[in-house]
Amino acid sequence: MITAGIDFGAKNVKVVILDDEKIVARGSALTGFDLKIAVKDASEMALKAAGLKLDEITHITETGIGQGSVAFAADSVSEVGANAKAGVKLLPSARTIIDVGAEEARAVKCDESGSMEDFVVNERCAAGAGAFVEAMARALEVELGQMGPMSLKATEAVPMNAQCTVFAESEVVSLIHAQTPKANIARAIHDAIAERVISMVRRLGITEDVLLVGGLAYDVGYVDSMKRGLGVEVHVPELPEYVSAYGAALVAQERAKE
Amino acid sequence: MTEMKYQTKPLDIWNEGKALRQQYYENYAKAHEKGGIRWAGGAWAYSAVPAGLGDDVWSLTGEPYGASVAFNKEFAARCQEAIEAKGFARDLCAYLRNYLGSVVLDEYVFGGKFPKPDFMWTTHICCSHAKWYQIASDLEGGVPYFCIDVSTGLIEDFNERRREYVVNQLLDGIDWLEQTTGRDYDDQKLIQAVYNECEATSLWAEICALNRTIPAPLDEKTMYSLYVFGTIIKHRPEIVDFYRKLRDEVQERVDNKIAAVGNEQRRVITDTQPPWGFLEIFRYLETFGVVSVGSLYTFSLIGAWEVKDDGTWGPRTTPQEQGIDITTRKQALEVLADWTHARPEWQHFYSAQKKSDMMLRIVREWKVDGVMLHYNRGCEGLSLNIAENRLAFKDAGIPVLPFEGNMGDEREFDLERTKKAVDSFLELLGVK
Amino acid sequence: MFDKFKEWYENRHDYAQAWKKQTGGKVLGYFCTYVPEELLIAADILPLRILGSHEAQDVTEPHIFGMFCPFCRDCLAQGLKGRFDYLNGIMISQSCLHIRQTYNSWVKHIPQEFSYYMYMPHGVQTPHAYPYLRGELEVFKKALEKWIGRSISDKDIDRGIEVMNKNRQLMKQVYEFRKQDNPPLTGLEAMYMVVSSQMVEKEEHNQALEAVLKELPNRKLDRNTGTRLMIIGSEDDDTEFVEMVESLDSTLVVDEHCTGTRYFWNEVEPQKDRLAAIAARYIDRPPCPSKDWPERKRFPHILQLAKDYNVEGALVIQQKFCDPHELDMPALRQMLEENGIPTYFLEFDVTVPIGQFKTRVEAFLETFALPDLF
Repeated sequence: MITAGIDFGAKNVKVVILDDEKIVARGSALTGFDLKIAVKDASEMALKAAGLKLDEITHITETGIGQGSVAFAADSVSEVGANAKAGVKLLPSARTIIDVGAEEARAVKCDESGSMEDFVVNERCAAGAGAFVEAMARALEVELGQMGPMSLKATEAVPMNAQCTVFAESEVVSLIHAQTPKANIARAIHDAIAERVISMVRRLGITEDVLLVGGLAYDVGYVDSMKRGLGVEVHVPELPEYVSAYGAALVAQERAKE
Repeated sequence: MTEMKYQTKPLDIWNEGKALRQQYYENYAKAHEKGGIRWAGGAWAYSAVPAGLGDDVWSLTGEPYGASVAFNKEFAARCQEAIEAKGFARDLCAYLRNYLGSVVLDEYVFGGKFPKPDFMWTTHICCSHAKWYQIASDLEGGVPYFCIDVSTGLIEDFNERRREYVVNQLLDGIDWLEQTTGRDYDDQKLIQAVYNECEATSLWAEICALNRTIPAPLDEKTMYSLYVFGTIIKHRPEIVDFYRKLRDEVQERVDNKIAAVGNEQRRVITDTQPPWGFLEIFRYLETFGVVSVGSLYTFSLIGAWEVKDDGTWGPRTTPQEQGIDITTRKQALEVLADWTHARPEWQHFYSAQKKSDMMLRIVREWKVDGVMLHYNRGCEGLSLNIAENRLAFKDAGIPVLPFEGNMGDEREFDLERTKKAVDSFLELLGVK
Repeated sequence: MFDKFKEWYENRHDYAQAWKKQTGGKVLGYFCTYVPEELLIAADILPLRILGSHEAQDVTEPHIFGMFCPFCRDCLAQGLKGRFDYLNGIMISQSCLHIRQTYNSWVKHIPQEFSYYMYMPHGVQTPHAYPYLRGELEVFKKALEKWIGRSISDKDIDRGIEVMNKNRQLMKQVYEFRKQDNPPLTGLEAMYMVVSSQMVEKEEHNQALEAVLKELPNRKLDRNTGTRLMIIGSEDDDTEFVEMVESLDSTLVVDEHCTGTRYFWNEVEPQKDRLAAIAARYIDRPPCPSKDWPERKRFPHILQLAKDYNVEGALVIQQKFCDPHELDMPALRQMLEENGIPTYFLEFDVTVPIGQFKTRVEAFLETFALPDLF
């Protein structure tokens, strides 16, 4: 049976198409101002890759911030619910799944069947999400993709004093003026964001295995900081930003059978 | 919308309540026209005490006023800007900011100029109460101000010595009231007000206790409009009368299985004041058959409770039911202090464990499936210990939804994000 | 000569553990300076104020709501990280809600031999507070006696009062030197002195103070005094900040903090009823704003300090989200400015963005150097 999951992220819309539980295609598009265009672009990309037409999809489930805005989705699931479902499918031993996207961080604790037991979402501050790393990369005048590899080369831990994005930016400027190597600053930025995220996840309690998903999980600097901060091994699936969409498509499989 | 299982109808007494509340704000505003007295103070104040000055003494309690301002989002925003412009931080108590902003603007949320009080009379239990009226007194050009320290701890520690500390302050307060207003104080009026307050607050507990029934005869959104009398005029005879009628009507709903929410399938409780401008969150829950049946806050900010013989909570036996004949000023104040300091919501200021225990009791006795904790940026007093309460529910295996917001400042509430979190909670409860 | 204080402050845990080992005594961590240390000393207990470490941390989120002050979170983090595991007990004297949250969470998650919540009144301006607090002290004394397994005699209490009073007198004498045109000590040194007195045995601290007082008359600092500043506000042991300010051609000549003058300014005036005497001291001390009502009695005291120490400007600071200080701030700044003392406001977090704050303090200090235009 063919199902699809659509995840409305703050930055990108992601689509995953499943044949039973096997991923047959993915698509993504910048969220931009018009969600409808983004959904159309992302779904067309996925459909084209799968060689399918929209009406061949039995059930579509959506997740993310723009829920309800797509006429052809049958229903919706929360991101934490989708993450629990997909996370356990990708790593059967996963019990804590931490999802950090562009604007939000969230985490879910689940059982072996992928059912959610508890969840947390971050408070109203972007200092604990991907946009923070982007802003800091700009301040450092470094390509976003270089932030991670660069921070792995750090020679020293530099404390970041500022606790919010606005102050952090001026803090980075101060560090640059103080001739602090960029690699050390990059690590400080990753440590700061990991501290925010870990703080939040501690509300759930850390149950292994820990799986990192969402766009920020591409960033090896962040993954390294999380590992050090949590003091446990962390796992990252392939294409971590598609995990919520994959979870939604899995939920669609279940619901189509009901 | 899930399937309707129960019959439902609005409360018959609704309009009477609405009129009573309007009357209250009008009585205060127009008190001077009839030679009466106006005072301002917190909802936690010993409001029965100024009643000894006469029947034409009207109060404006700050927290409910701040909530009324919050309902009017345009006015609330102006109040907040006005008080921030005076240098006050925006993370302060949202009620305080709404109230003081209204004073600075010299606008009453119900129309006209802000009615300046003749004196201020309050108590200090959180970090803001005493300072609130200190500032209000300054802003109003030095209105006489009296505040009673009630930080005497848990009710089990409220022995004679500690009670005396409170009662002595109240006795000084009565002398001060006489000097400030130039009126003679009537102890008989005080005694009657004490009887009224005990009866009204016990009745409110009785009404809340009826909400143990499935389906719940009242939902919390409705209860907000009803408990409010306990925060504005808990000592007045018209409230005793109103709560008696309400109790009878709720009993009738219980007897006839009339539900607040016809599709009730899961019961939750909340904690702290809600984000007043966004009560639609409750409506959203109801579309999935989830009904909030109350909270420690709605039950016991004013409700008077005791543990009954079967070990469950019930309305507290009033002094009049116990046959206690109050004859003197001092005795009246002692009875009132004993009554006031025992309210469950007062205990939470001193112990995280006590608050968790009380909330877990409500979960058990009111047959609750999940808990919504409002991390209320507008009130640090009632948010005290909230994270520890969350851990206690987690340990007890009860689904919890913590959500962040502000009771009186809409800039700090994100409806869409909260709805998203609610969706996850609904999944946890197995209804979505 | 102030190095000893700095060393104590920085190695507070080592000191307390060594003290325990050496004396076999008990160490009690406390949360607010309204705790009557006289009785603890009378019971041969080492009172140790629990302060934060000014490091980023990720352990308090499950316990404390994010909008409670950074100081209360920093304190709890120390406990959760096990840095105070050597404590035999903890206590709080009732003050603000935020530090109360820390105490509540600490009691719940970190096992203690002894824990005590003292119902310190807020209504310190009512005459009824004196007998009331006296009664609370009596209850507390009994709890202490039960814990240590012996009674506390009047003689013991006299010793507690004496050593505390002496500590207060000596620190006040050191502060006298800060009135000089070129004070022989910096604000940073004074801060180390006072906070360390909240951490080490008072007799030992007194000895160190006496040594300092001998040398101070002949001490000259190789630095410019620059602008004479006062620092006012909530809990503050941010030594990095103070050091930064004093590197900008200015000197903090006096403070109004509970890690400064509010802690030691007044003494116990002996009476036959020792507990009543102690109660009066805490009721009459320069108040925390949470207890300063209906009148603002703190303000004339601040103004007096500003005059006595010839203050040119004031840094008014507070922990982020500290309601009691926030509620006083507009009136405080107005009062100071009406009295010709310009103010500059800063909000403190666990760590402060020092680069940012430096720019801001520099700009404030520049206003003192401007020529008079008229």
